[in-house]
Amino acid sequence: MAGFRIQKEKLTGGVVLVGVKGFLDAHTFEQLEKEFADIFDAGSFRLIVDLAGLDYISSAGAGVFIEAIGTAQENEGNIVLMRPGPNVKEVFDLLGLSQIFTFKDTREEALQSLARVGA
Amino acid sequence: MRGSLKDRLTVSNDTRHLLAVRDFTGRMARQGPLPPEEVHKITLAVDEAVTNIIEHGFNQGEKGSIEIEAEWEGEKEKFRVTIRDSARVFNPDSIPSPDVQEHVKAGRKKGLGLFLMRQIMDEVKYRYKDGQQNELTMVKYVKGK
Repeated sequence: MAGFRIQKEKLTGGVVLVGVKGFLDAHTFEQLEKEFADIFDAGSFRLIVDLAGLDYISSAGAGVFIEAIGTAQENEGNIVLMRPGPNVKEVFDLLGLSQIFTFKDTREEALQSLARVGA
Repeated sequence: MRGSLKDRLTVSNDTRHLLAVRDFTGRMARQGPLPPEEVHKITLAVDEAVTNIIEHGFNQGEKGSIEIEAEWEGEKEKFRVTIRDSARVFNPDSIPSPDVQEHVKAGRKKGLGLFLMRQIMDEVKYRYKDGQQNELTMVKYVKGK
């Protein structure tokens, strides 16, 4: 589907890195919802999501993260967000989500943060 | 580049048109003296409003259209966006803003659009026009309200 792309990479310790690019809105959010569901179904609950390539997010997109972090944390995992652009970070701030999600600048910092969440 | 201070876009009730809605809103908002981050937020508010209409205003399979009119008023002091649709009557004034923290804790992912619209815009007003059309008007003042 045009406008939104997802890349997935398995890192050490069962962590999954998800890179998202483009526009995450009411038209595209189901792609990410499905991707998270597939990752959870495979038994991975520690995720890093790289937002550097994400140009836009609306509440439909933010909703996917709200649902996913709940599932991750219920399963002793977590979701760490990486490198949001200012417009994307603004939406997390407006929704009060910046207090719920951990943001990191590098993959190493994100991995360290997840290492503190049970293996 | 100078552009028109008033323009209109009509789209059908399909989320694939959201990109066009955002492009239109951004192009119009940039005609005035708003900083880029405010242009982005207004674009988001309009996206949320149109998304709500598409997702909640029509029955499954029902075709409909949504008109978005954007206009700079006065000496570019305020930016007004009026959204008209023929969907079922929906008065956002009847919906209280959610307690977002509670909403998020409960894992609820819907209902945040209206909260964003009210956070971003200085005025959000609804009326049922001529007994046949929803009309939502959102205003942003350049210098705040």
